[in-house]
Amino acid sequence: MNVIEVEHLSRRFGDFKAVDDVSFTVGAGEIFGYLGANGAGKSTTIRMLCGLLQPSGGHARVAGHDVAIAPERVKAGIGYMSQRFSLYLDLTVRANLEFFAAAYGGHGATLRAAIDAMLERMQLTSVRDAVTGALPGGVQQRVALASAVMHRPRIVFLDEPTAGVDPLQRRSFWQLIRELAAQGTTVFVTTHYMDEAENCARIGIMVDGRLVALDTPEALKREHAPGRVLDVRGPGLAQALDGLRGEPGVLDVSRFGSGATVRVDPTRVEAQAVARWLRARGVEPLEMEESAPTLDDVFLALTASAQRGED
Amino acid sequence: MHPLLVQYRAVVVKEVRQTVRDRRVMALLTLAPLMQLFVLGFAVNFDVRRVPTAVVDRSRSVESREHARTLLAGDTLRLIAEPHDERSAATLLEDGETSVALVFPPSFEKDLLRGDGAWVQALVDGSDPVRSSVAVDAVARHAAARASTLGMEQARRLGREPPRSTVTLESRVLYNPALETAVYVVPGIAAMLLLIVTTLIMSMGLARERETGTLEQLQVTPLRSSVLMLGKVTPFLLVGLLDVGLALCVGAWVFGVPLRGSLLLVALATLLYLMSTLGTGLLIATASRTQQQAFVGGFLFMLPAVLLSGVMTSLRAIPDWLVWLTWLNPVRHYVEVLRGVLLKGAGLSDLWPQFLLLSGFGVLMLGIATRRFHKTAA
Repeated sequence: MNVIEVEHLSRRFGDFKAVDDVSFTVGAGEIFGYLGANGAGKSTTIRMLCGLLQPSGGHARVAGHDVAIAPERVKAGIGYMSQRFSLYLDLTVRANLEFFAAAYGGHGATLRAAIDAMLERMQLTSVRDAVTGALPGGVQQRVALASAVMHRPRIVFLDEPTAGVDPLQRRSFWQLIRELAAQGTTVFVTTHYMDEAENCARIGIMVDGRLVALDTPEALKREHAPGRVLDVRGPGLAQALDGLRGEPGVLDVSRFGSGATVRVDPTRVEAQAVARWLRARGVEPLEMEESAPTLDDVFLALTASAQRGED
Repeated sequence: MHPLLVQYRAVVVKEVRQTVRDRRVMALLTLAPLMQLFVLGFAVNFDVRRVPTAVVDRSRSVESREHARTLLAGDTLRLIAEPHDERSAATLLEDGETSVALVFPPSFEKDLLRGDGAWVQALVDGSDPVRSSVAVDAVARHAAARASTLGMEQARRLGREPPRSTVTLESRVLYNPALETAVYVVPGIAAMLLLIVTTLIMSMGLARERETGTLEQLQVTPLRSSVLMLGKVTPFLLVGLLDVGLALCVGAWVFGVPLRGSLLLVALATLLYLMSTLGTGLLIATASRTQQQAFVGGFLFMLPAVLLSGVMTSLRAIPDWLVWLTWLNPVRHYVEVLRGVLLKGAGLSDLWPQFLLLSGFGVLMLGIATRRFHKTAA
């Protein structure tokens, strides 16, 4: 069953198309990742799906209601956590949970029990009476997530939830997200950390307001970044790279600082052949590391092809 | 419990918690108004008393001394110097040492006894119009009173019927018999302080929510903007009532401001007035992106609101084309209610137009703010 259905959704700001004819669906209990550079239209999409922003065109049904026709009903069925965490920093953790739960109508003994359970689940029991602003970023992040799901929404939207949080905290946060999804909550998450996106069942990639790809991480890698990735480094690399691009079995060459990433089709050319080829053109000493493609490579390939399409 | 009531209570509790936690805001809400009332009550004083006066007595006679003595016996003028000639008196005036110089010519007593009419000159520093007009008035009234006494004495001496004065002025001041400024000014200051505190607290509070992003978080909840607005306003209505209560106490104990009318009426007017000021604060916040903008916006509203209210100046001094503007000013109506109820013991039958206008403004301001808030959210 789909809990989010988006058809030809668009949003213009003047002449600028922030979101341009986007369509997708998200199933119940799915972790759906929404990737894109800053300004690609991720937040605008989320704001429309949460009933904060009216679409300029197309339709979106969230939690069974059209966001343009019944935004208030949509709001009652979803949770939202923004990248700024948006908590009352001068109130205690418990006071924040109480307030946001009551904003959805929660009250009485059931609410108190639900808050205690939530504090326990988010490992916040020890800080429940601390002033939120005095807590470290990772803890505030868990408080924000707890506030967003206190009312047991069917869908929770997380807009860049891990921005500015250290890697260890990010990992435990994703553990919480997986638990939420396991209990049937649909998670719609935007991020620009590609390693995090591997946690998602499916990923949509936004470039300049358009949804350019949508699939599972594995399928995306197979389609947009096949083969093996060679990270190479060495003196005189810049001049040698131009000739490498046309060699058989070389799929893509992109430069990064002093090094380069070369993607090859392993059935047609071996890594050692590439190394020999580079050494023969004076790249010595050569450093080379072979790895499987990541979502970073997918993202780069898609961004590059979108830009070529525009030129 | 009804969901709307749950939401309303949640907003009220949240606002109270945030306010109580912030010591600066608590001080702004309670101590600051009291201190200002205390200081301003003494500072804003239109009473002209003890104006420094120099007397140049070139007559050096019984009559001139008597004239000066009786004039200075009043509270208005105070003798500070007796220079020998007009030139040194002028210097004293120029230096600001004295505000009035009285000059008796050498022939003062002679002219007076001859019945030709004597002259006394008063030089007055006119740079402070209120002060100088009161001084001139005191000098003139004294001269007139003395002239009539002397006339009667002279008539008696000559054995004639004393001239019957046909008009006798007997003035009695009502409501504020001692004509004390504080009694008149303190209610105005209370209204002004209430305006400043509530408008700023409200506009900056909402602007802060916009700045920190909690407003956006509120907008994704099913919380209605009307519930949010009412919930935000409620705690400050109560704080405002408390402030007025404190102001009345300070007014009564320190400045002797009476309470002749109904306390309940004062409370009702205060609630209606606060709806206007808090609503305006919210309205300003819906047009501001930052707390700074809200602060500046607040002052752009408050300054004219105070100046066109009759708190500091008399509305009678305002040109006609400006007077109609004061009708749109809730501060004016609230001050009129306060002065009416406190000083005159006026009731609803006298003040119903003010009450009507105040409630109109309150509902209008809160309504527009809620609508605007709703629109900016979409």
